[in-house]
Amino acid sequence: MSQIVTLEQLKQTLGAKLAAGAKVVAPVLDGEFASFKEIADVEQASFVPRICMQNSIEEFFFPKHETIFTFVRQGNDVVLNDAPDFDVEQIVVGARPCDAAALPVLDPLFAWDYDDRFYQRRRAKSTVVSFACTQSDAHCFCTAVGGSPENTHGADAILFDLGDGSFEVRAITDKGKALFDGKTTESDKVGKACDAPVVNFDVWKIADWIRANFDSPVWEQVSLRCVGCGTCAYVCPTCHCFDIVDEGSYKKGKRVKNWDSCQDAMFTMHASGHNPRDTQGKRQRQRLTHKFVIYPDKFKFYLCTGCGSCSRSCAQMFGVRPCLEALDKEVQ
Amino acid sequence: MENELRNAIRELLEKQEIDVAIGYGRVGVDGAVGAVFVTSPDDVEQIVWNDECRQNLAVHLTRPEVKAFGKIGIVVKPCDARAVVVLANEAQVDLDLLTIIGVVCSGIKRAKPDGTTADEYYAKCETCVQHTPQNVTLVVGDVAEGEALDAKNEQNAATAGNNAKLAKLRAMTVEERFAYWREQFSRCVRCYACRQSCPMCYCNRCVADKNRPTRIDTSASLKGNFAWNILRAFHLAGRCVGCGACASACPAGIELDLLNLTVSDAAKEHFGFVAGTEFGVDPLIGTYADDDKEEFIR
Amino acid sequence: MENIYKPDLMEVVKVKQETGDVKRVRIRFKDPEKAKQFSFNVGQFGIFSVFGVGESVFNICCSNSHQNEYFEFCFRKVGRVTERMWDVEPGDTIGFRGPFGNSYPIKEWEGKNLVFVAGGIAMPPIRCAIQYCLENRDKYGKITIVYGARTYGDLVCRTELDEWAKYPNVDVLKTVDIAPAEEIEWDGRVDFVPTVLKDSNVSGENAIALVVGPPIMIKLSLPILSENGFKDEDIFTSLENRMKCGLGKCGRCNCGSVYVCKEGPVFTQADIKNMPDDY
Repeated sequence: MSQIVTLEQLKQTLGAKLAAGAKVVAPVLDGEFASFKEIADVEQASFVPRICMQNSIEEFFFPKHETIFTFVRQGNDVVLNDAPDFDVEQIVVGARPCDAAALPVLDPLFAWDYDDRFYQRRRAKSTVVSFACTQSDAHCFCTAVGGSPENTHGADAILFDLGDGSFEVRAITDKGKALFDGKTTESDKVGKACDAPVVNFDVWKIADWIRANFDSPVWEQVSLRCVGCGTCAYVCPTCHCFDIVDEGSYKKGKRVKNWDSCQDAMFTMHASGHNPRDTQGKRQRQRLTHKFVIYPDKFKFYLCTGCGSCSRSCAQMFGVRPCLEALDKEVQ
Repeated sequence: MENELRNAIRELLEKQEIDVAIGYGRVGVDGAVGAVFVTSPDDVEQIVWNDECRQNLAVHLTRPEVKAFGKIGIVVKPCDARAVVVLANEAQVDLDLLTIIGVVCSGIKRAKPDGTTADEYYAKCETCVQHTPQNVTLVVGDVAEGEALDAKNEQNAATAGNNAKLAKLRAMTVEERFAYWREQFSRCVRCYACRQSCPMCYCNRCVADKNRPTRIDTSASLKGNFAWNILRAFHLAGRCVGCGACASACPAGIELDLLNLTVSDAAKEHFGFVAGTEFGVDPLIGTYADDDKEEFIR
Repeated sequence: MENIYKPDLMEVVKVKQETGDVKRVRIRFKDPEKAKQFSFNVGQFGIFSVFGVGESVFNICCSNSHQNEYFEFCFRKVGRVTERMWDVEPGDTIGFRGPFGNSYPIKEWEGKNLVFVAGGIAMPPIRCAIQYCLENRDKYGKITIVYGARTYGDLVCRTELDEWAKYPNVDVLKTVDIAPAEEIEWDGRVDFVPTVLKDSNVSGENAIALVVGPPIMIKLSLPILSENGFKDEDIFTSLENRMKCGLGKCGRCNCGSVYVCKEGPVFTQADIKNMPDDY
C-alpha cells in the first residue's frame, strides 16, 4: 500500500505551516520561467514537477547575499553585533531530486573543521520535499553522477505526481514523516518517475583524465566559446564559492558573504597583479576539476548532481555536460 | 546560404586572409548553436547559418585568447555588425586584422528558458528594419529575402514605437516603472553575465570590480543591484547596439535589453545618435557639440 | 555554535614603518581571556581587517614567545584594505581571525643548519622563523640568511638584519638589485638573491632551506639549492594564494586538491612538485 496526498491536502498542509509562521519555498511560475521562491500564499506556487528551473534551492540554505555581522565604531572601540540566527521552520517543497541531492554534498564542506552556522542553522530548520521527475531532457545527466529521477538523497520526503491531482508520498526521514503525518490516505496507486536520462560518458574515466591533464591544451580549446559569464556557477545547486566584503562606512556597516564565481577573472587575482588563472581555459579547468576531482578527493561526492541547469541557461551553449562530452573524446 | 557562407570562409582560410573564422556551429547540447572557431579550410563544414544563431560573436573580438589567433574573420548578423563598428570606433579592434563576414538575416528565434528554440522571433527581430548587414567586408545571402521582411517590420516599428514592450514601459507612471525595475533587479544575482556577454563591455577592469573606492556594492542586495544595472546601462549610452546578448545571458531573466534600449532611445531622441551605423564616428559620450540639447540635465 | 566569520577585536599596540610602503603592526586581544587562551605556531597566518573596509591575509610575522601578550603582522600598502590599514595608530581597533593553516616544522629542524632565503616583502613570513630560531639559538646549527630587495629602501626589517648578524654562527647576506645612492652606507651586495645564494656555497648536508619570495626568485634559487645537496623534502616555502575565508570553504585558494588555507601555506618542494601549477 502507498500513501497518497491530494493537491488540496498538500496545499492545506503548507498553508497551515505558513499560518504557524514557517517559511515555505516552492516553485513559482512567472510567464515561462519557473523559479524557487519564498511564498506568502500557497496559491502562488505551482506544484508541477519541472526540470527547468531558473535557480536551485541552494539559495535558501546558502543565500546569494548574507550579513555576517554588523559593526559600529565608538571612538577607538568597535562593537560587533551578530546577524540574527535563522530561527524559523523552513519547508522547501517541489525540489528536483538533483536539487535535494546537492544538500548532502554541501553538508561536509560547511562542517569541515569549522562549522558554518549560517548554513547549518538553515539546514537543521528545514524540511525538503522533492518531486520525482516526470521528464528528463538532453541537459540532464544525473545518472552519470549517481543520481536518478527518483533519487531521494537529501530529501525528507519525495512526492510522485500521479497525474490525477494527487501525489504518492514517500517519507524518507522523520522530518518528512512528521510533515505528512495524518495528512495522507492509503491507496494502491504507486507513483513512477520518468526513465533515467541516457548518458554515454563515464565521469570516473573523465575525472582520471582531468587528474592527469592539468596542462593539456584541450582546456583552452574546449573553453574558447566560453565568455566567462559565470551563469553556470550561479544556477548550480552545488557551486558554493563566496566572497567576504565590508559594506557601509568606516563608522558603521556590515560584513557580508556574497556568492562568487571561479569564472570571474578577478577571482584569483593577487594584490600584486599576478593571476594564476588568467585565461578562460584555466578557469573552466578549475570549475571542472573542482567538481570531479577536488571535491571527491576531499568529501567523497562529485560537486555536481547532473541537473543540467548550467547548460540550459548558458547563452554560449556550454556548461558541464557539453564540457564532459568534449573531454570524453580525449579519454577515448 | 549556409553553403555560400562555408565557401566564403573556406576561401578566406585557404588564401590565408584570415587565421581563424568565428562562426556558428552546432556545439551545444542536442546540437544547440554556439560559437565555433575554425582554423582549417577542412573544418568549414562545422559552420552553420540558421535562425538559431543567437549569439553576438563580436564579444569574442576583444578577448586576449581570441586576439592571439591573429587575423580574424567574424560572422555577423546586421545587428552584430553594428557592434563591430562601435568596437572599431572605440579603437578596440584593428580593422586591418579583421574580415567582417555579414550574413543577411531575416530574424532569429528566441531561446526558451530550457535552451530549446521557441517558435517565435526575438522582439528586436520583429521590429528590425535592417536585414542586410552594413559596414562589412563581404555580404553573404540573398538580399531580396531580407528586404521582403523590411516592409513588414517597418510597419511594425512605426506602429509599435520600436518595441511593444518598450512602449508598455513608457506608458507606465514613474511609480509603476520604478516598481517594475525594483522587481526585476531584486532577482539579479550579480553574476555579471550581462557584462561578459556584451561586446561593448571590454574594460580590463570593470567599475564593479574596482574597490579603491568601491563605487558599487558587490552584494546582490537591492541597493547594489540598482547601482550596477543602472550604471551599466548608462555606460552603454550611445554604444549599445541592441543585440540583446545581455538579456539572453541573464540567468535571472531580467529584461536588460529593455533597460539598454531605453538609453539607446534617449541617445537617438536627444542627440540623433544611433550606435554603430558608420565607421569613423566619435563616441556619443566623449564628444560635445555646441548644439547639444541639455534637457536631460535640467 | 560560533560565528566563524566574526573576527576578534584587537588593539593596535605599536606600528613601525619598515619601508616606503611596508608597515609592521603589533596587536593584542582586547579581551584578556582570549589573550590567555591564544596560541599559534610559527608560519601560520591570520586574516586581519579594518572594519568597514575589509579583510586581508597576512602571515603572523613574529615568533610565538609572546603569544599571550601580543603578536605582529606586516603588510605592504597595495590594495583597498592595506591602504586603510596604513593609517592605523596605537589604540585603534582592528579585526583578527586565526591562526590558520599549517606551520613550519620548526621543532624537527632542531640540530640542523638553516638557510633562509627571502626577497622583498617575503621577509615577514620568514622573520617569524628566524626570530624563533634565534630565541632558541643553541638548538640550531649554522644559520644563513640571504635577503634581498629591489632597492635599499625596500629592505624590510633592515635594522633587525644587523642585529641578527651579531648572534653566534649567523651569516646575514643582504643584497639589493639596484645600487643605493652614494650617501647611503651600504655594506651588502648589489646583486640578485639567487646569485648571492650561489656564492654563499651553503651545503645541503644536514640542512633545511626556507625560501619565500617572488616566483622568479624561487624559480632561480631552487636549482642552486638542489645542486648544493638540498633534498626536495628539505626545502620549504610558504604559498600566498588569494584567500577569503581561511576556513576551506570559499573555494579560491586551491592548487588542485590542496587547499592552501588549510593544508598550507607551508609546503616542501616535494609537495609542490606533486601539485598542479595553479599558484
